[in-house]
Amino acid sequence: MQKEQKSTATTRTPTRQMRFRARVAVLLVVGVFFLANILRLGYLQIIEAEDWQKRAVSQQLSDTVVTAKRGPIYASDMTPLAESADVWKIIMSPKNIGGCDWKNLEGVDKDQDLTDDQGKELIRKRIAEDLSAMFGLEYDKLYAQTLKTGSQYEVIKSKVEYKDKTAFTDWVERNGLSYAFYIITDYKRYYPQGSLASTVLGFTGTDSNGLEGLEAKYESVLAGVPGRIVTAQNGIGDQMPTTMEYTKVVDAKDGNGLVITIDPTVQMYTEKYLGEAVEATGATNRGVAIVMDVHTGAILAMSTKGDYNPNDPFTVTDPTVLEMLATLSGDEKSQALSAARQKQWNNKAITETYEPGSVFKVFTTAMGLEENLASEGTRFTCTGSYKVGGWDIDCHIRGSHGSLTLPEAVSNSCNPYFIQLGLKLGASTFFKYFNGFGFTEKTGVDMTGEMSNAGLYHGAQALAEYESSLATAAFGQTFKVTPIQMITAMCAIANGGKLVTPHVVSHILDEDGNIVSATQTEVKRQIISAETSRRICKILGDIVNGGGSKNAYVAGYRIAGKTGTSEKRDLIGRDEVVASFSGFAPADDPRVAVLVLLDEPQTEIRFGGTLSAPVAQKIFEAILPHLGIEPSYTNEELSTLSRTTPNVVGQTTAVAQNKVVNTGLKATVIGKGDTVLRQVPEAGQSIPAGGTVLLYTEDTEGELVTVPNLIGRTVTDVNSLAARLGLNIQLQGLVGGSSAAAVSNSQSIKEGEKVPKGTVIKVNFVYNDIEEN
Amino acid sequence: MAGGVPIPMPRRGSGSRQSAGNKKRRRFFNLATGFDMHFFVLLMIVLVIGLATLYSASHVYAFEYDGDSFFYIRKQLLFAAAGLVGMLLVSMVDYHQLHRFAVLIWGLSIVLLIVALFMPSKTGIHRWIYIAGVSFQPSELAKFALVLLFAHIISLNHKKMKKFLTGFLPLFGILCITCALVIIEPHLSGTMLIAMLGFVMMYIGGVRIGYLLGVLGAGAALVLVMVVVLGYEQDRIAVWLHPLESFANEITFADGVSGRDHAWQTVQSLYAIGSGGVLGQGPGGSRQKHLFLPEPQNDFIFAIFCEEMGLVGAVIVLVLFALLVWRGLTIALKAPDKFGCMLALGLTLQIGLQVAINVAVVTNLLPNTGISLPFFSYGGTSILMLMLQMGVVLSISRQSRMEKI
Repeated sequence: MQKEQKSTATTRTPTRQMRFRARVAVLLVVGVFFLANILRLGYLQIIEAEDWQKRAVSQQLSDTVVTAKRGPIYASDMTPLAESADVWKIIMSPKNIGGCDWKNLEGVDKDQDLTDDQGKELIRKRIAEDLSAMFGLEYDKLYAQTLKTGSQYEVIKSKVEYKDKTAFTDWVERNGLSYAFYIITDYKRYYPQGSLASTVLGFTGTDSNGLEGLEAKYESVLAGVPGRIVTAQNGIGDQMPTTMEYTKVVDAKDGNGLVITIDPTVQMYTEKYLGEAVEATGATNRGVAIVMDVHTGAILAMSTKGDYNPNDPFTVTDPTVLEMLATLSGDEKSQALSAARQKQWNNKAITETYEPGSVFKVFTTAMGLEENLASEGTRFTCTGSYKVGGWDIDCHIRGSHGSLTLPEAVSNSCNPYFIQLGLKLGASTFFKYFNGFGFTEKTGVDMTGEMSNAGLYHGAQALAEYESSLATAAFGQTFKVTPIQMITAMCAIANGGKLVTPHVVSHILDEDGNIVSATQTEVKRQIISAETSRRICKILGDIVNGGGSKNAYVAGYRIAGKTGTSEKRDLIGRDEVVASFSGFAPADDPRVAVLVLLDEPQTEIRFGGTLSAPVAQKIFEAILPHLGIEPSYTNEELSTLSRTTPNVVGQTTAVAQNKVVNTGLKATVIGKGDTVLRQVPEAGQSIPAGGTVLLYTEDTEGELVTVPNLIGRTVTDVNSLAARLGLNIQLQGLVGGSSAAAVSNSQSIKEGEKVPKGTVIKVNFVYNDIEEN
Repeated sequence: MAGGVPIPMPRRGSGSRQSAGNKKRRRFFNLATGFDMHFFVLLMIVLVIGLATLYSASHVYAFEYDGDSFFYIRKQLLFAAAGLVGMLLVSMVDYHQLHRFAVLIWGLSIVLLIVALFMPSKTGIHRWIYIAGVSFQPSELAKFALVLLFAHIISLNHKKMKKFLTGFLPLFGILCITCALVIIEPHLSGTMLIAMLGFVMMYIGGVRIGYLLGVLGAGAALVLVMVVVLGYEQDRIAVWLHPLESFANEITFADGVSGRDHAWQTVQSLYAIGSGGVLGQGPGGSRQKHLFLPEPQNDFIFAIFCEEMGLVGAVIVLVLFALLVWRGLTIALKAPDKFGCMLALGLTLQIGLQVAINVAVVTNLLPNTGISLPFFSYGGTSILMLMLQMGVVLSISRQSRMEKI
């Protein structure tokens, strides 16, 4: 039995080898393979766990960006120049169309027998039909979108405005489709003043990021910080079930606002007159005008014409370019189009350079005076040309100027005079001041795209090496500067010799309107003394009053300035010039500087004096009163400006008003009667043009004002004070060219008395600077 | 268990076993002794964990695409219950009865594999047979059929195993026929599993290692040539070696499908496993099953398990599987004859290999081949076959010379 069992066991039971090999096989599978798997799991779940978790979380959380409202841009008087308004984005969720009932569709036959699929089809067609009509979209495209049943985010329309949004939500309501749509708040950028200051403001792209101008430069300030809504989502973008829910909301922080130094009135006039001039002269390379506060460097106006409308920046505005584009096609056209757009977007005032020409003589003059190498009496002789370094350099006139003083040379813009002055200064002195006036550095204006003129002027060594370079540079040719460099340097001439940093942003406001930061005037350095500054101001003021810049003359104001007509020597085969004027006012107490530049005017006569100076004159005339700079007329001006009040008592109100206005005075009607019963001042009084005549049509007492102290004041002061109170002033005792140095010493009605508005007060003036003369 | 000397154990009904020797005709049922309770309990623990995991992994997917959270678990429970009954029934059958059916079952599996090739398919993959709305995977049967036939042949021809013509060649031929039919389905991972199983059994059965290594070497060379020289399966290998780069679409794929789509399953699996960390997100806490990991109830179910139960849970499950295989080995070593030994080994090693390959795929240790995790992955045929096979192991255990509870 035992034996048999054993023999059976040996023949039938597993052999030793089999048992061994079975153990090896199991050890291999379990021991090696399982162990390898466990090690791998350990690696993934311990060492790399955090990385995998991060990756997994990034897909498990849906991160929706909440747009921040872009901050507004205000002009100096808080006129909004750029604003963001609420608009909406309409999103369709084709996936949820199944959750809508076709029976809720407006006007549908509810009794028809439709399958689920037919019902959905009906809804899809209705959506495509109605929305294509509502938003002017393609039916086929919309219909295709409704078929994307896996999607919950199909953008139907962006930047939908309030009216359309309301119409849309009504439609959704009426058709019972609220399951299938949702709307997201978004913002759209508006420029309420249209093209006003467009090259300064810039514009934004479709995703509301600043692309040009201040919008680009101050992107980080204006943009704000987008908020986020983070929610847990599943693999197909749906919300996780409630047990897995997770929501985190970070509110959007709206962008800060900018208050800029641009004065909309100044900007408006600047654009108007520059635009007219560019059109009239056909300046092919556009024109620039800048108005700047000489003391602070605040830019009150900056315009490039032609420019564009930031509400529609991609539309080319230049009609001649449009004509040219119409003749092109294909690549050529798209290249030309993009070049034309880039050109109209460029703020020429800071992005392009030009040869300043004779305007630069102002600075050569300043160098001579400051270095005591020249004075008002210094004479050089002009023989029509001047030989330097083997070159004959001509003066701009035929013939010669002969012997000239410095003011005469400035007035006549004599090239040989300034060549000789420049050579007398020498290369190193010349370059010291050239550098000092900021002609070798960017001004640092807070705008995008300021061009560096590095490499476009002669360095100290080149000036020393080549006399001809120094000679030509002395009258403003053979080097280039940007318009902003020029007007900034001109401000230094005007403000007592300080080079300031120009700026266009005055304040940054937070969303509640609190001031976050304010721009302080930054004085870089003193280049010339206040005394030198005053002397040049006088020279420049005089040339406007009768000299080469007389076209910039504005009655009542002393304008200082210099014209320039520079050859564009770098154009090959074309004879073009830049006609410019740069100046400031009032000459005796400078407040604002103006630069006008017309690039490549196509008129017969194309001097700065004939083309640009009149533009500056119009700008000055329009903006100086607005800026609170009261005119101070000379005696000569006064004689042409004083008006005799007409007699209008007993006449109808309308006739009386007309008569007063025609005399060059203002009429203020008091009461509601038809006939003028009384007038103040009475007939036959001599008062300055623009004075006010009060016409009483009812028997009422006139409004009384208290006469202020008018003694010891300048003409400007007296005028502005009287204008504020509604009194008329008769100026007496003024003789000679200028009223600037005159001070009042008596008044016809005593201080403190009460008189009706419109009363004429005679004020006598004396000159205090007689001894000095 | 070192050493191969059988230790006689006291047993009930040893006499009857005696009479069931080679001379006497065996009874169909054998209920003389109980089965191995260790193996049974381990199996039940694994099954319960597997079913619980299947519910957790599948309910979101099932609700989204079938509108019924219980869609998969209900079917699986039905098959598991049927399988459990079947297993207990099979365990009562004397496994020696299978001798008679070995060739027949293998022949049936070959026929069914051929039938499957002629089944209409939209995808060009012919892995299923559909009869009256019920689908059946013949390759599941083929695995069992091969193990059975090998055990049958090896136990009968054991002395000739060392010879090339009588030992190696017939087995290799059978293996080739089965593999050829499975590979043209095509079902690469199934083929690999069957091939590995066949080789392991040939090795244990006593085939000369030299022949096996020779064939393995040739096979490896062939695979190497196909992959490296002929450029087969480049996309799969690119995903395997660079899953994240593929996922980020940084790699171009020859078939024009985006790298993101290619690598989606592998990367989502890694996200899930990594997210689990050491302790896991807790039962039901997987985020990846929320429609990130495609078909989380199938081959990649272990990734969801790892995400929910962490490294600790994963190691526990692997240890449970290892114990199951080890217990299967014990049953095999104590089996009264070579047939029982080979059969028990083949059936438990099938589970061991399948687990090892599945986890290696899920963790991207091996390229994504599509192999299911026994007792975890959804699949009626699979669970039913597995349970019946375990019934066979239990049946063998009744006759093994080991202590029964």
